Amino acid sequence: MVTEFFDAINVWLIWILPFAGAAIIPAIAKGSKSARNYIAVGFALASAASAATLIPTALAGHEVHSQVSWISALDLKAGVLADPLAIIMTNLVAWISFLIMVYSLGYMHGDRDLTRYWFFMLFFIGSMQLIVISDNLLMVFFGWEGVGLASYALIGFWYHDRKKDYVGVEGHRAGGIAMWTAPTHAGMKAFLMTKAGDVMMLAGMFLIFAYAGTFGFKELLADQGWAQAMAAENLLVPAAVLLFGGAVGKSAQFPLNEWLLEAMTGPTSVSALIHAATMVKAGVFLVARIGPLFFALSALNTGQFFEVVAWTGAITAFLLATQALVSPEIKKVLAYSTGSQIGYMMMALGIAGISLNYVDGYTAGFFHLMSHAMFKASLFMGAGAVLHTVHSRFMTDMGGLKKYMPKTYMFMLLAALSLAGAPLFTSGFWSKDAIFAAVLESGYSQAMPLFIMAVVVAVMTAFYTFRMIGMTFFGGKSKHVEKIEHEGHHVHEVGAVMWVPFGILAVATIIVGVSGFLFEEQLHHLFEEYLGESFGIHEAAPATERVFLNLNPVAAAASFGAFGVGAALGYVFYIARKADPAAIGRNIVTRGIWTFLYNRWYLNTALYWGGVIGPMAIYRFIWRYFESTIIDGINPAFQGAMTYMSRWVKGSQTGITQTYLFVFGAGILIVVMLLLL
Amino acid sequence: MVDLTSTPILVTVILGVVGLAIPAIDAGRRERGIDRNKLYSAIAFGALAVAMGIVIFKVFTGEVLPAVAFSEGVLVDDLFGSFFAIALLLVSLMMTASSWNYWKGRSNPAAYYSLILLSSIGMVLIAYSTDLVMLLVAWELMSLPTYALAGFAKRDPVSNEAAIKYFMFGALSSALIVFAIGLVYGMTGTTNIGDSVRAMTNLDASMMPVGLLAVALFIAGFGFKMGLVPFHMWLPDAYEGSPATIGGLLAAGTKKAGFAAALRVIVLGMFALNADWTLTLAILAVFTMTIGNIGAIMQRSVPRILAYSSIAQAGYIMIGIALAPYSDQALSGSLFHIINHAVMKSAGFIAVAAVAVGLSAYSLEKYRGLAKRMPITAIVLSISLLSLAGVPPLNGFWSKLVLFGAAINAGPLVEWGPWLAIAGVLNSALSLGYYAWIMRKMYMEEGPDMSKVKEPRAIVAVLVFALVFMVGFGIWHAPLLEFASQAVPDLSFMSGAAPGPLGR
Repeated sequence: MVTEFFDAINVWLIWILPFAGAAIIPAIAKGSKSARNYIAVGFALASAASAATLIPTALAGHEVHSQVSWISALDLKAGVLADPLAIIMTNLVAWISFLIMVYSLGYMHGDRDLTRYWFFMLFFIGSMQLIVISDNLLMVFFGWEGVGLASYALIGFWYHDRKKDYVGVEGHRAGGIAMWTAPTHAGMKAFLMTKAGDVMMLAGMFLIFAYAGTFGFKELLADQGWAQAMAAENLLVPAAVLLFGGAVGKSAQFPLNEWLLEAMTGPTSVSALIHAATMVKAGVFLVARIGPLFFALSALNTGQFFEVVAWTGAITAFLLATQALVSPEIKKVLAYSTGSQIGYMMMALGIAGISLNYVDGYTAGFFHLMSHAMFKASLFMGAGAVLHTVHSRFMTDMGGLKKYMPKTYMFMLLAALSLAGAPLFTSGFWSKDAIFAAVLESGYSQAMPLFIMAVVVAVMTAFYTFRMIGMTFFGGKSKHVEKIEHEGHHVHEVGAVMWVPFGILAVATIIVGVSGFLFEEQLHHLFEEYLGESFGIHEAAPATERVFLNLNPVAAAASFGAFGVGAALGYVFYIARKADPAAIGRNIVTRGIWTFLYNRWYLNTALYWGGVIGPMAIYRFIWRYFESTIIDGINPAFQGAMTYMSRWVKGSQTGITQTYLFVFGAGILIVVMLLLL
Repeated sequence: MVDLTSTPILVTVILGVVGLAIPAIDAGRRERGIDRNKLYSAIAFGALAVAMGIVIFKVFTGEVLPAVAFSEGVLVDDLFGSFFAIALLLVSLMMTASSWNYWKGRSNPAAYYSLILLSSIGMVLIAYSTDLVMLLVAWELMSLPTYALAGFAKRDPVSNEAAIKYFMFGALSSALIVFAIGLVYGMTGTTNIGDSVRAMTNLDASMMPVGLLAVALFIAGFGFKMGLVPFHMWLPDAYEGSPATIGGLLAAGTKKAGFAAALRVIVLGMFALNADWTLTLAILAVFTMTIGNIGAIMQRSVPRILAYSSIAQAGYIMIGIALAPYSDQALSGSLFHIINHAVMKSAGFIAVAAVAVGLSAYSLEKYRGLAKRMPITAIVLSISLLSLAGVPPLNGFWSKLVLFGAAINAGPLVEWGPWLAIAGVLNSALSLGYYAWIMRKMYMEEGPDMSKVKEPRAIVAVLVFALVFMVGFGIWHAPLLEFASQAVPDLSFMSGAAPGPLGR
């Protein structure tokens, strides 16, 4: 048992190290502040190095599976499973997290509560790694909740609720609900909304456990009797959808998407971590984890589950992309974009399960996850650098920063091009194109609507990306920038400890982009082997005829076109500034649309009225008429009874030895009589 | 012939030699300036640590017989004994280490540590005994030093009262055990436990009442140490009146040795008699936990609360013993709870000792605001109380889970089985009534004096160890439970019980 643990110690250490680091950080902080900072980063690096030792295993197509007994009463085992999927993901998480930790050294420099910051960052990384590397749903759920806790603590990190840490425009209300949020409120909102998903996930998990008697991914696959039993009672798809409910909450998919935007109240490094490496990717990873299992069970009609996944993804992608068009805050644009891109991934993973070629969609979805992780981390850190310099979250307070922050500009531009899907040399192009191709080739009866939605989203993505770059770096200096310059602040480039991390990621996204089709092919090959060996999922038919660079012609044309249209519009309005966006406000129709999008489709309003204000009224009623009369009436009686009995026992304890001896003797008689009974 | 390299002999030799050497060294030294308390504490700690090391080493090298073994000799080197030896030596270790601070400036340190070591030998030997006479000798070796230790503060009338009461009941119970051994010998012609159990299975029907009488006397005799109701009356007075570390030794150590003896003799003996005895133990278990908890609610002295709580905990452990024939998990649950309780209760008493050193107070009122004054003591005391109450994810939760789970699984075989689980759960809820009360005093109230008090360093180290144990085995309890289940005999064949749905 113990030897099994040590044989796979490098796998265990991936998640144990960050937790261990988190545990000792407060102790080190008592001694030296700078040692604390470097040791925190060191633990992230050590975890990443531990993850890197697994890369050869993944390339060879092997896997490491190590288990130790955990809760023996239920025959539950704790285990780690490093298969190619987990190995790629764990490396992605570990290295991006490490870069963000390095970036934090600069970004968070001088903050008073850094011990808390490092503690929760490491806790965050450890929890995410636990999700990635665990071999069973129960441990995944522990990591899942750990991620939730850490995100709550970090989103609300600046709990003094100073005005500058808010998100949203002050005074903006929609349907009577304030649309600007304090950090503490945002943290709570994120925690509670993801909890709604967690409850569903818990229900799904235990539903499966009730039939299978195990949480292990391997065990669930090995003996599929549970699935047949569940399918016979029409519970298999509901259980799968409940599990997906957890992913919806964590990955901020419709209808649990609202928390993601307010999550911007945290430090930008936290936003980068949430959006690139941890938290929102946990949901996608979960779907990637359980997807093949349910696809292997497709004889039991699990297709409906994948339809739910695909449509949820498509709706979210569309919904959040439209809202990103009108947001005035740089971090919120990126946040909307994250939700929207995650929608793409969900769509790909969902469409994979409906199509004949599971591997295609699966690869596309996961490839997009990888490329998004890189460019979104880079963009967030770049945005953080801008915020750090101009002390404002509004893009209207920026402008013309290109010549002041050339490195930030260059790297953000590269990452932004990847987000927009600039053809042929960015990773975002290849992964998005792969998703288009997967949707087109799926053979799903509703593939066309999905495809059209995906393309429209791509147009909007290119547009809002150029809008963001244009408003931030081009044009003249805003009044705000002039004001702070006037006050003596020098608007300048950030230090190397900040720009190097996001520079690395921006360049990485281009390297992956330039070698895009090779990269995709490798990934495809790896997953083909992995899915074939582990799940028995094979390519059903040879893929459709493809031309140049293995592209699907329609999908490629759509990718080119979407980027072209979106980017051109963005360029005209915000970079060349040939047309004035203010024109929108003059037309009643466009203005109406703008207001609708700006108020976030009134989803937040509905959420608060239906989920907060309404229930609170009911609870108040219950408290008033049930609790304060009935419960408070019963409690004293119970208390009185216990006190009376306790007095009685106390009274019998006289302290007189004769009494004691008498009871002892009587006791012997009683025992004898009981035995003779 | 006794194997000189077997675990019990080695432990006896080491602890015995050191235990006798400490007073000898003390008699030879007259120079001033050396802190004798620290010196002897270190020596005693070292001896116990070596003994502990030997026990663990022997377990790992596999030189130990599995589960409960019987032998022709008087001692056997089996896993059951080693399990208890580890638990009991752990308690002695924690108490000796905390005495580094607690016994500072008190009288006669040499005798104090020597007596602890000698008592430890007795406890360990009980667990390894396979002969009733050996068991009795070990029992006396364990008990006699503790009578002296309970009354060690000789100018303190409370301590004297504690010692006198403890001694009177100890003498009474020893007499009962001797009487019971005599009856067994009269019936079977042997004092070897294994042989007498075999002989009792073929007992003539007319001798049955005598056999039952012997069992009843054993229950009373051992039940006195275990703190079973109605043999518990001496216990609150003795635990409270003794010095805090000795209170801990009695509650966490000798009490567990009582369970070891009971498991060796009563359970196995009763199987032989094949009487419907389990209901008796179940009734005792329910009364024990209920009276213990109810008695604790209104107390105003923390060691006294802990004393009552240890009565209640004995009730939980009894659940497993009462259900031994019906579930294969019951006995391992009992052993699991025994080692957990040993650590939790030691931590509690040591925290009390820390407060006694820092504030010279035992009363609950003086614990107000302790979280600010002695933060480490307060947090470990709170964790140990939560663990005693069985709050997940602490180790106390898991052993209670196994015990109550065994009780529920025994349902198909004995209809009263699940009721034990219900009684246990209700009692656990009730016990939070006073555990949470202490925590409330420490964390949510403020006393007249809120100045920070220096926490004694050795005690803090022991408390941190206990904290790691409680939390660590709470998160990952499997190794401990596995050890416990390997140390118990599989008795389920006796009643033909199938392995429960919880499985193993």
